[in-house]
Amino acid sequence: MSSAAPASEAAKDRAFAAAQDFLLGTKTFWTTRMFPALRSEYEARIAARIAPIATVAPAIAAGALDAGNRANGSRPVHAVESVAAVLNDSTLYQTFAWLERHLQRMKYSGRYGLVNWQARDRAMLEASLVGAPAVLDPSLELPRYYVSVDIHQHPGGVSGDPLAGAVYERGARSTTPLAGQRHADLHERFTQQVAALFGRVEVGDAGDASAKTASGLSTDLGTPQPGTPQALLDMGCGFGKSTLPFARAFGAARIEAIDLSAPCLRLAAKTQRDAQFTNVRYAQANAAATQFGVAEFDLVTSTMLLHELPPPIVKDVFREAARVLKAGGWMAHLDFLPQVQPGADAFSRFIHYGHARRNNEPFMEPLANMDLDALLAELGFTDVAIEAFEEAPGALDPANRNWRFPWAVIRARKAGG
Amino acid sequence: MNCVDGAPRPEQTFFPDPAIDRVLGVVMALATEVYVLRDRTRALEGQLAARGQVDCAALDAEPDAQALAAARADRDAFIQHLMQPLMGQQVSRGAQRGALS
Repeated sequence: MSSAAPASEAAKDRAFAAAQDFLLGTKTFWTTRMFPALRSEYEARIAARIAPIATVAPAIAAGALDAGNRANGSRPVHAVESVAAVLNDSTLYQTFAWLERHLQRMKYSGRYGLVNWQARDRAMLEASLVGAPAVLDPSLELPRYYVSVDIHQHPGGVSGDPLAGAVYERGARSTTPLAGQRHADLHERFTQQVAALFGRVEVGDAGDASAKTASGLSTDLGTPQPGTPQALLDMGCGFGKSTLPFARAFGAARIEAIDLSAPCLRLAAKTQRDAQFTNVRYAQANAAATQFGVAEFDLVTSTMLLHELPPPIVKDVFREAARVLKAGGWMAHLDFLPQVQPGADAFSRFIHYGHARRNNEPFMEPLANMDLDALLAELGFTDVAIEAFEEAPGALDPANRNWRFPWAVIRARKAGG
Repeated sequence: MNCVDGAPRPEQTFFPDPAIDRVLGVVMALATEVYVLRDRTRALEGQLAARGQVDCAALDAEPDAQALAAARADRDAFIQHLMQPLMGQQVSRGAQRGALS
């Protein structure tokens, strides 16, 4: 997935690179300095509010704290609004929120934005995608929820321009500053967890990805691995970043990767061609209603797909996964759920929902408020587990006070088998 | 999602006075340009130093009194330009309310 500019273009791109580097550095400050300070300010404000109550009615004060801190299981719906009330007049919160929105805007838009950057090389980039072996469906109707909002503040969205895939790919490299160039690790860690579902590692251990690092990834594409899936469907594959680690790990498997975005699929197919992989077929399709047959796959995955979907479509996607899975097959989705994180509280939900608003993610909060356990049970899935996902070593350590996405894995098994 | 696609959508605001939101946007745009220029200067100095055409130690050294004196007029003009708008006074004479009636 190398898109490093040739040496002759480095000077031309120097100003863009410097501006993007400045924005990344600023986002890193926001992540590691401003967010911890904001949490401290919130905690201080809560303590100041509770102190007068605690002296006369300790039980009520303790209850007030608990209401704010309970995870989604008991879901005090007022709690997030109460965080907003506490932070509403905080200059630090206002600045934090402004920066979250506008650093992302500047990353994509304007003179030094990624859209403009990639457009300078439009002819070369478009030419590079010609002949990329993606199976496109020009008759596919893109859903209204998908085209009416520019997700991630990416102007035109991830399908609105032939270069949208290239812009998205470049942007994904600095979405989470701490991951930086190691962002791919996240997908590999997910792949390891999923592989463990088929391997000798106990399923109950699958939440601890670091424990299985030693199991490693297959780099020998020709050697079938014991216990790996034979047929995998990766839904919402984007430009293939989530799919490639599966292609590496399950070299002998048939892998179908689908997405709504033709520009992303073209880039994915080009990337696979460049990397000389052959076991993935990238095709344009709606994950809620695919053309695949009943019980074709023993694994269905998605990465950062569900939070882009309205709740009824999430249900359709689960139902479709159940349809195409063999009995006993696994489904695993990597996404964002604040309520399953260690130490989840009203503040972290408030921050997540705020991120959703500020980053043009209208279905992130609705996903977090779905009763996924009940839905998956209703659809007949078994072995349901919804757990925090450690996207990088130490990310879930309580000592980590930096901003992070509330990564979570939703996995379930089709009954039978 | 009832708004018409393509129609302007007002930007979100985060501060009590939306003017702060807008001004901060200008500040961050300028800060970006400053960093782009710093990067450009660093690159220029590196190339020139590699050819022996600048003395980086001399560039980094504190200016002596003569150099400071030579820069003073430019410094003062810069400060005047920067600070004058903060005084809230017109620099050309506009009509005074009621004076022309």
